[in-house]
Amino acid sequence: MTVVVRAQSRQRYLVRRITNTVMLGLTGLATVVAIIPLLWIVLYVLIQGGRFLSFDFFTKLPTPVGVPGGGVVNAIVGSAILVTLACIFSIPIGILAAIYASAHPNTRLGLSLRFATDVLSGIPSIVVGIFAYTVVVLPMHQFSALAGGVALSIIMLPTVTRTTEEMLKLVPNSLREASLSLGAPEWKTSLRVMLPAALEGVVTGIMLGIARVAGEAAPLMLTSFGNSFMNTDITHPIAALPQTIYIYAVAPYKDWHDKAWTTALVLMTLVLGLNITARLIIVWRRRKLGLG
Amino acid sequence: MNTSRAVYVSTRQNSLENGSSINMSRLIAAQQETALAATRNKMRMINVSVYYGSFQALIDINLDVPEHRITAIIGPSGCGKSTLLRSLNRMNDLNPRARTVGKVLLDDRDIYAPGEDVVDVRRRVGMVFQRPNPFPKSIYDNVAYGPRLYGITSRRELDRIVETSLSRAALWDEVKDKLQQSALALSGGQQQRLCIARALAVEPEVILMDEPASALDPIATLKIEELMHDLAVTYTIVIVTHNMQQAARVSDYTAMMMLREGTRSGEVVEYGPTRQIFTAPRDRRTEDYITGRFG
Amino acid sequence: MSVRGQVQKRSLLRRRLGRITGHGDYPFNLIIAAAALLVVAIVIAIGYQLWSNSTLSRVAFGLKFLWTTTWDPVAQQFGALPFIMGTLQTSLLAVVLAVPISLGIAIFLAELAPEWLRMPLGFLVELLAAVPSVVYGLWGLYVFIPALVRPISVFLARYLGSIPLFAGPAYGPSRLAASLVLTIMIIPTISAVSRDVFLAVPRSQREASLALGATQWETIWQVLIPYGLSGILGAVILGLGRALGETMAVTMVIGNNLDLSLSALHPGYTMASVIVNEFTEATYPLYLSALIEIGLALFALTLLLNLFARLLVWNVARRVPQEARV
Repeated sequence: MTVVVRAQSRQRYLVRRITNTVMLGLTGLATVVAIIPLLWIVLYVLIQGGRFLSFDFFTKLPTPVGVPGGGVVNAIVGSAILVTLACIFSIPIGILAAIYASAHPNTRLGLSLRFATDVLSGIPSIVVGIFAYTVVVLPMHQFSALAGGVALSIIMLPTVTRTTEEMLKLVPNSLREASLSLGAPEWKTSLRVMLPAALEGVVTGIMLGIARVAGEAAPLMLTSFGNSFMNTDITHPIAALPQTIYIYAVAPYKDWHDKAWTTALVLMTLVLGLNITARLIIVWRRRKLGLG
Repeated sequence: MNTSRAVYVSTRQNSLENGSSINMSRLIAAQQETALAATRNKMRMINVSVYYGSFQALIDINLDVPEHRITAIIGPSGCGKSTLLRSLNRMNDLNPRARTVGKVLLDDRDIYAPGEDVVDVRRRVGMVFQRPNPFPKSIYDNVAYGPRLYGITSRRELDRIVETSLSRAALWDEVKDKLQQSALALSGGQQQRLCIARALAVEPEVILMDEPASALDPIATLKIEELMHDLAVTYTIVIVTHNMQQAARVSDYTAMMMLREGTRSGEVVEYGPTRQIFTAPRDRRTEDYITGRFG
Repeated sequence: MSVRGQVQKRSLLRRRLGRITGHGDYPFNLIIAAAALLVVAIVIAIGYQLWSNSTLSRVAFGLKFLWTTTWDPVAQQFGALPFIMGTLQTSLLAVVLAVPISLGIAIFLAELAPEWLRMPLGFLVELLAAVPSVVYGLWGLYVFIPALVRPISVFLARYLGSIPLFAGPAYGPSRLAASLVLTIMIIPTISAVSRDVFLAVPRSQREASLALGATQWETIWQVLIPYGLSGILGAVILGLGRALGETMAVTMVIGNNLDLSLSALHPGYTMASVIVNEFTEATYPLYLSALIEIGLALFALTLLLNLFARLLVWNVARRVPQEARV
């Protein structure tokens, strides 16, 4: 009857305890290992990029090779235009589709929609770029900001749809029922009651979506193509921050590498800033609602 | 084997075999005999208080757990019965804000003393939970989980332990042909007995049961209660129950717990042989609870 | 005037119109259905466009395209094998490296970290996913490779160079560099999903194991991980999918070379990289078509992985063990 007890050799015990401590320690180590690259990148971008950061950088156009100074104002404006285009296309469609999904989850269209959103979120951005090339660039016979905007909007769409759907789910059903029982039609209920209640969450989702597409370069290489000059015409090629980083980074000129870091600093500030703000809002919201 | 308990067990056995209904008074008499037969304390709680942060969940608990007996802890819900039970195998330690003050003796050694191995304590003081919680593994692997942790790898050894444990938990006959089946395919009552077998497999000395039959139907409950009597022959049992009739049927000693007046902290208001608690309680609150005046 | 009075004041026409359109519901429902349809249509359109625009290449090379190694724009001979190999090599290696680290993080955050540490740490790990791909590429090329990858490669080439996997010479940009950068990039994906999986395991399972005298690690390894295995697998597949499609970071550190050796220390080329590099240089239709066919292959690959991951997640949802069926 005391087989197990006898098998309790002091040795085995020790082994078990040591294994426990070691393995648990390793998990802590893994966490540290993962955070190191983040800190490394952020610090490097800050330091390296900060060296040549100046007011001019935000306001001047790029100078020719070998000429110091200059800036990336065309890329900043370009990115702003592209992101705006992406928002214009993806936000209304995303929100409306999400309203459909939450209202009719089990219809064929509802299920297809969920599946399509999943697929879209998994498509590599370069493939989306090819698509935008074939449907916008080819017919127009030129690269354009429009094509870039279309590509980015497709990339942003699943984020907006999914977030809106989840936020709508969180709105208590009692709100909807209260509105309906007052005689409001479904659509008014959705737009005037449900959506505003979910708005904060939807906004943070949009912020995260913007952060993501602001950093995308791959699809832009095939669609908006880039432009060393200022351009605000969406039917023509346009510069963008991530793309500019790439061009500067792989060029054989040292001073362009420096510019790449500074541009990266600008982009990172924007992207990380959006991300951190959005997540802070999410946490703050959760605490407010007591959902911990 | 303890004589009194043997008498008790065979009394019950006879009643059942003769097809007559269990004779309650003979039962209670045998119970009292058992209870009064001297035995040492397997575990003792001495001035134990449990805090969660600044909130005191248990106030100054003093409790004896006699060996080879069934000790029941009863009381209204929320008075800290589970907390008390879990302090006996240091499961409260899982809550980072929990703090236990006082001594809990197992064979006269304080399990909370610094340097005491909590892993060993938990092996010696096993636990069965309110809702059955088998692992999503086969029946065999559930029971063999504990022994395997302790280094037993021999197939023959494990087979033997599995069979013994399942038999002691009165489940062997029902599952011996389907040991490889998933434990989740069993009924609720069977799952609970599987959890008991799993706890038995590591050869504990004390078994803690937290409302073990509250999630089960009456027939399954009865089976568990019979099992408890059989188990008490070999082990020491402490059970928490909100079902007074169950406590009266099953236990030798009963502790009555309640919230202290005006607080949310629990204390033991009375403790003694079950027969005495249920027929001549000394504390007014015990009497109120038992007669159903509240709770 | 009372509300009822106001309502009755509304013209007969408006009320009739309201009833027909369900008080605006009917057109609204049309609009949202149209939006939903549009989303689905976009997915179909992407597949269709990729298919039709790669026709030239598909017709010219057939299925052999997938295992031909010649990629010669000058001779107009195209085969995708070097890129497929490069993509699979770098992504699979990245997954192999990322899984233990990600699981470690998930375990640490879900089981071990004190309450106050959980959120900030989890936050930082997730922030890794927010860094744009180009910035990873920039950092990878000018900081990571010289500081870490080159020394490691030189070391591997010297001591393990006889194994084909580590055959030198060790250039700067290499498949190993790409794999390592990819590893960092997919860690947040795998660890975030795995952490959710662990948090979803019922407390009663942990308690059952600990009450039997198991140590915390034993509980994690023998109960929690098996319990959440499908979910973890889904997380891994999601990570793999992300790695397969990564473009900028990879193209900046992999060297973009048609090298066909098995060595991880040599430069390589992936499907995404060749597309982004050569797309705007494709001067004739067949060239472009071949690149688009590679895009099609990438699309199909990620689509299949996605389906697989979904099936796994469905499996978990159905398999959630029912607590005592009384």
